[in-house]
Amino acid sequence: MSGDAPGRGLLTRALSTPDPRALATGVMALLGTIVVVSLMVAALGEDPFAAIRTIIEGSFGDTTAFGQTLMVAVPLALCGAAAAIPFTARLWNVGAEGQMHIGAFAAVAVALTLPALPGPVFIPLILLGAIVAGALWAGLAGVLKTAFGANEVIVTLMLNFVAILIATYAITGIWPQGVAPSTEQVPDSTVLPVVWSGANVSLALPIALAALVAAWVLMSRTGLGLQIRSIGLNPFASLMNGMRVQTVTVATFAIAGTFAGLAGAMEVIGENKALVTNFSANYGYLGIAVALVARLAPAWIFPSAVLFAALQVGSQSLPASTGIPTSFGQIIIAAFVLGLLGARVIRLRYAEGAVQ
Amino acid sequence: MLGITKRFGPVTACDGIDFVLGRGEVHCLLGENGAGKTTLMSILFGLIPPDDGQIIVDGTSVQFGSPRDALNHGIGMVHQHFMLVPEFTVAENVVLGSRPAWTPRFDRAAAEEEVREVARTSGLEVDPRALIRDIPVDVQQRVEILKLLYRGAKVLILDEPTASLGPAGIKSLFEGLATLREQGHSAILITHKLTEVTAVADGVTVLRGGRLQGSFRQGNTDEAELARAMTGGDIAALPVRRAASGGEVVLRVRGLTVKDTVTGRNAVEDLDLEVAAGEIVGIAGVEGNGQRELADALAGVLAPESGTILLDDADITAMPPRARHAAGLGVIPEDRLRWGLVADLTLAENLALSDISRGGLRRRGRLLDLDGMQARAAELLETYGVRPPNPKARASQLSGGNQQKVVIAREMSRQPRLLVAAQPTRGLDVGAIDYVHRQILDMRDRGGAVLLVTNELEELIALSDRIAVMYRGRFVYRAVTADADVDAIAMAMAGISPEDADAQPGAAMEVA
Repeated sequence: MSGDAPGRGLLTRALSTPDPRALATGVMALLGTIVVVSLMVAALGEDPFAAIRTIIEGSFGDTTAFGQTLMVAVPLALCGAAAAIPFTARLWNVGAEGQMHIGAFAAVAVALTLPALPGPVFIPLILLGAIVAGALWAGLAGVLKTAFGANEVIVTLMLNFVAILIATYAITGIWPQGVAPSTEQVPDSTVLPVVWSGANVSLALPIALAALVAAWVLMSRTGLGLQIRSIGLNPFASLMNGMRVQTVTVATFAIAGTFAGLAGAMEVIGENKALVTNFSANYGYLGIAVALVARLAPAWIFPSAVLFAALQVGSQSLPASTGIPTSFGQIIIAAFVLGLLGARVIRLRYAEGAVQ
Repeated sequence: MLGITKRFGPVTACDGIDFVLGRGEVHCLLGENGAGKTTLMSILFGLIPPDDGQIIVDGTSVQFGSPRDALNHGIGMVHQHFMLVPEFTVAENVVLGSRPAWTPRFDRAAAEEEVREVARTSGLEVDPRALIRDIPVDVQQRVEILKLLYRGAKVLILDEPTASLGPAGIKSLFEGLATLREQGHSAILITHKLTEVTAVADGVTVLRGGRLQGSFRQGNTDEAELARAMTGGDIAALPVRRAASGGEVVLRVRGLTVKDTVTGRNAVEDLDLEVAAGEIVGIAGVEGNGQRELADALAGVLAPESGTILLDDADITAMPPRARHAAGLGVIPEDRLRWGLVADLTLAENLALSDISRGGLRRRGRLLDLDGMQARAAELLETYGVRPPNPKARASQLSGGNQQKVVIAREMSRQPRLLVAAQPTRGLDVGAIDYVHRQILDMRDRGGAVLLVTNELEELIALSDRIAVMYRGRFVYRAVTADADVDAIAMAMAGISPEDADAQPGAAMEVA
């Protein structure tokens, strides 16, 4: 009497099967990661406890560090939503990186081509431009999938390279700044104001949080959200019950694009004040991991993003106080994601085994 | 098996059950869904250990730690879903797993010869060289049985062996069992179909709610007594059938041709069909003769090659399901967990799927009316007697019968003009079957049109006002039920037209 929808892979089941002890599973995975990583640090001849202390102090130790963690969590969380929403419909959007670059491109285009406007008018226009651009870019992948049966993983991944080249062209060809690898600076009125000066946290944080609330409302309180969940769990019954599966597919991609596009725009009109090369520290791809750790639940995306941001920011201080390179942070992230997925698969096996 | 007890948490699946099987006996284990049949047999087969009680084989008390132990004592089980490798031949499947893994060379010819020998002595004819994917379901089942015989099984446990078979397949299965019985093999059939008991069993053990209800011998009992034991009460007789109302035509199908998406051949070929208001038209046929494709094309999930489908004179041929719902179509799909329900969504959400698709159940501001959804679900679950009547339960937590009630509740709540019900009672217990039948009859009595697709002949005859038999995508037999000849229906399902049947009297099967 186990009601498994047909043809669902182990990973999909591990993600979507309700687990009453999901949080415990996550904590277990985190503890396991700490043990494994500590062993690796010890193998390098360094003190694991010092490394852990460095990461924690470097990310939460003081107001400045905490603010930096929060600001890194903003694009991670938005890209997390850009992955989680389509993943819920079992649409594998790995294109948040590109959608973010297109959003950044649109933001700098709006900021540099419109005549000077006051901030409260200009900033919403820029964000809107980026959101629309991200939605169209991601929606393109949805159309290619529904109209031509293209595989969305390949399409979204390939579109990333195109989007990054478009952003690069803006930097080198359209609005070159001449000296640094960046576009001209955007007008001061377009720069997001700082809302917590001690921590140097800008308006980007409240905007991102509002966007995540919107994502939560979408998924749990709207008909579209229910359709996205239903199609992800069982596309056949969804079709039989009258859902426009293809329309919802395109809409889901477009919605994902809005979050990634917003992330890109806020990087442009944030501290950088321009579209700069490599502004994204792989936020689009890390967003996938953020979404997986959050079990695709909008409410858990921000905490998950903060965790990743803390590892990223905290590991910056590793070389200074220990002999460990910065890139060790990425090893920790990878170990954690693998550990968590492994733990979930084990829990799933256990749960399914108990049924039989 | 004496005093077998097995608990799963708070649920006692088997409560002190005694079960006795004689040599050369075909014994039916009868009970509703959840009566404990499968649990009891899984214990006998070594799949799960009992909490209490003992198993005695040929006078020796035994303990099985695994199915291999059970097989060593000559006990083997054929599962409801066959465990065969489609790309392998019959012979390869039969010997699979009985050869040491480290034997480097597989002697195909020897294996085929051995399998042929087992098939010959047991009377279960198969071609050892045929690929599993090429042979029909009833032959695949024969291969499963051969697999056990090849491993020396003397006791065969068959779980719902007739669930996937048509009348001809059932007939050949029962003949095969009779042959095996003569050779001293025993068989246990897990079933909830009374007709099978009377057709084949020497003895029958009835379970209900994990308890033994009684053991009977053939001849000492009748269907009514068994049904009472199984359900804990008499099944109320179906309401008396009215004459067809002669209402206006609701569904008009003209020249419908539907391709099978896998093979590309025409599954439904140039079919004409009409269903009037206040009428149930029953479509019978052996599985795989186009009934599924017909139902899918009507539901709007499979596009026809040609032909038209009119619902109340509106052409719905090219409409997606959502537009068909608006036009008055309700569907009980054959596979409720694939097409009917989203197992991991709640009942409230499942009941709302169709409304949500059409933009319903919204409050101002376009948000979902969650309270309204819960309230409406609670009301529907109550009205349709779904257990548990909890809108927040997930569909996957319900039994098959209750899942089907949820589908029916959703479809009926739209008040459809036409209901397409495909195999609506498959896998359900007697109580749930009775319930589904009543719902279909109620729909008809309210003036709705019903197209019933079923391969249960009893169901077909009990419900339908008119009957059509499908064979290879066409109707080969049509009749008003009152004039229908059961033998002719059974023969038509097997692809033998009534004229041919006359030429071979006695070939007709006993059904209903």
